[in-house]
Amino acid sequence: MTYLLSISEKFSRVLVWIGGTLIILSALLVTLEVILRKVFNVSLGGADELSGYAFGIATTFGFAYALFQRAHIRVDAAYNLFPSWLKLIADLVGLALLAGFAGLVAVMGWQLVADTITHNSHSITPLRTPLTLPQVPWLFGWIYFVFCAVLILVCALIALLQRDRKRAEQLISAKTLDEQVEEETV
Amino acid sequence: MVIKPLLILVALIAFAVPIAASLGWLGLALQYLDSPMPLHRALGDMVWQTGTDFLLVAIPMFVLLGEILLRAGITERMYEGIVKWLGWLPGGLMHSNIGSSALFAATSGSSVATAATIGTVAIPQIEKRGYNEPLFLGTIAAGGTLGILIPPSINLILYGLLTDTSVPELYLAGFIPGFLLAVLFMVTVVIMCKLRAGWGGETINADWSERLHALPALIPPIGIFLVVVGSIYAGIATPTEAASLGVVAAMILAAFNGKLTIEMLKLAIEGTMRTTSMIMLIILAAVFLNFVLSVTGLTQALADFVTGLGLTPFQTMLMIVALLIFLGCFMETLSMLLVTAPLITPIVVGLGFDSVWFGILLMVLLETALITPPIGINLYVVQAVRGRGEMLDVMKGALPFVVTMFAMVALLLAFPQIALWLPSLVYG
Repeated sequence: MTYLLSISEKFSRVLVWIGGTLIILSALLVTLEVILRKVFNVSLGGADELSGYAFGIATTFGFAYALFQRAHIRVDAAYNLFPSWLKLIADLVGLALLAGFAGLVAVMGWQLVADTITHNSHSITPLRTPLTLPQVPWLFGWIYFVFCAVLILVCALIALLQRDRKRAEQLISAKTLDEQVEEETV
Repeated sequence: MVIKPLLILVALIAFAVPIAASLGWLGLALQYLDSPMPLHRALGDMVWQTGTDFLLVAIPMFVLLGEILLRAGITERMYEGIVKWLGWLPGGLMHSNIGSSALFAATSGSSVATAATIGTVAIPQIEKRGYNEPLFLGTIAAGGTLGILIPPSINLILYGLLTDTSVPELYLAGFIPGFLLAVLFMVTVVIMCKLRAGWGGETINADWSERLHALPALIPPIGIFLVVVGSIYAGIATPTEAASLGVVAAMILAAFNGKLTIEMLKLAIEGTMRTTSMIMLIILAAVFLNFVLSVTGLTQALADFVTGLGLTPFQTMLMIVALLIFLGCFMETLSMLLVTAPLITPIVVGLGFDSVWFGILLMVLLETALITPPIGINLYVVQAVRGRGEMLDVMKGALPFVVTMFAMVALLLAFPQIALWLPSLVYG
């Protein structure tokens, strides 16, 4: 289980690099488009559409990583006053609700992609992009996010059953401020 | 009808359920309670459409831009340059804290990153130069909030998205209030230092040749600001395109400094994607909630409820401001923006206020939220960077700036032109 967890975390990092590379490529493409349009009065066409897809995919590719980094925002005004057992319950409930909502989006996204495939839909733009191309990786990001959320939840529950509270906290508790600041400073 | 969703939301948020899940589940609960139609069927399509919206591509671009500037050491050198220009004022380095924050805000948009970066450079100077510690810390916490208001601000893009307001118009409107607030912060420092002898510490008197030598350190951030904001107003680029230009410009600058390495890009990417994915998950949930709220008629019900109170528009506005200040004491800014903007803006516009103006007012209130105790994220960031002493010092030091922000809110209420004059020149 621990092995699966660490593999999943490593893979989430790989997804983030892919996503980030897509964003940087989009920046280059859009810049090229602006320069060509203004200076040479020609348009590549579709830079906005393609970077939209890149952004959509990059975003869902980053969900799991943000989860492992415990970056999803929670309001901890009351939480900080909870006794530690209640904190853990709030952590478990919060993660379960997050996984549940993402799971619902993934199911609805699945239906969207299934429709796209059945109808062989194309975008209504000059590019006429076959929408399966961007939608399949986009959906994969959602599914992987749900998978990781459930995996973390299961690992935390196992840790609790083994009375290893510290391990459970490491997995699911809200970040302390020192951890947050460490990320923001170079 | 209005009370039930509020209770659900407060319960979820207070129990520290991640904001994205809180908003999403509230949407699901409301459609189950109030709507005969299965609204969640639209979820897949909505999430896909919003998630690939070209306007929102600006978010990762601006975050990446800030990350690159930070990691290429450009921000740090900028601070040292600004010291030479502003250090002579009573209060010395405290003005550099505010000035650098304003300039950093004008190139990227993250308030936490701004406070953390400036804090790391500036805090060691407190004892060395004998400043009043709380006030000094307050300038860093308050300066860091400017990123929300001074364009290009990510929060203004989100407000524009949720309320159908033009982002370029919002950017124009944010200019004068943003820089005015920075100036008011500096005036606050001068007043405090005049009132209490010994708070001001050392001033730093650079001569003109030193100042001119410091200029090259200021050119990169100013240049990027001009590229980004200039291209929007020159009509060359949309906000997203401008942000992309900024990213490319920052990469070129980093390359000039010999800092454009794979290792640096990897770190910048990880930071960017962590922030972007976190923000986007909340936005997607907020857009879904927004849809449920309007379809089930709750937005209208809330507006009717407020109009039914029989207050004048101005009294209503004061009530809204008070409510937002109160919320700001407990909520983190992004969640606060995404929860309140779609609910409150229709009410405000219905009362005859301008949605661009309200966007700017809301940003100032969000800035206040960053430094009002007990939950003001910038206070915590500054305290964490400082790593010693009491949290109370930072809160005390930030207090004068909270007062300044209230003054700014009053100014905006009394003279809406502060925000609206610039857009009216351009858009007529």
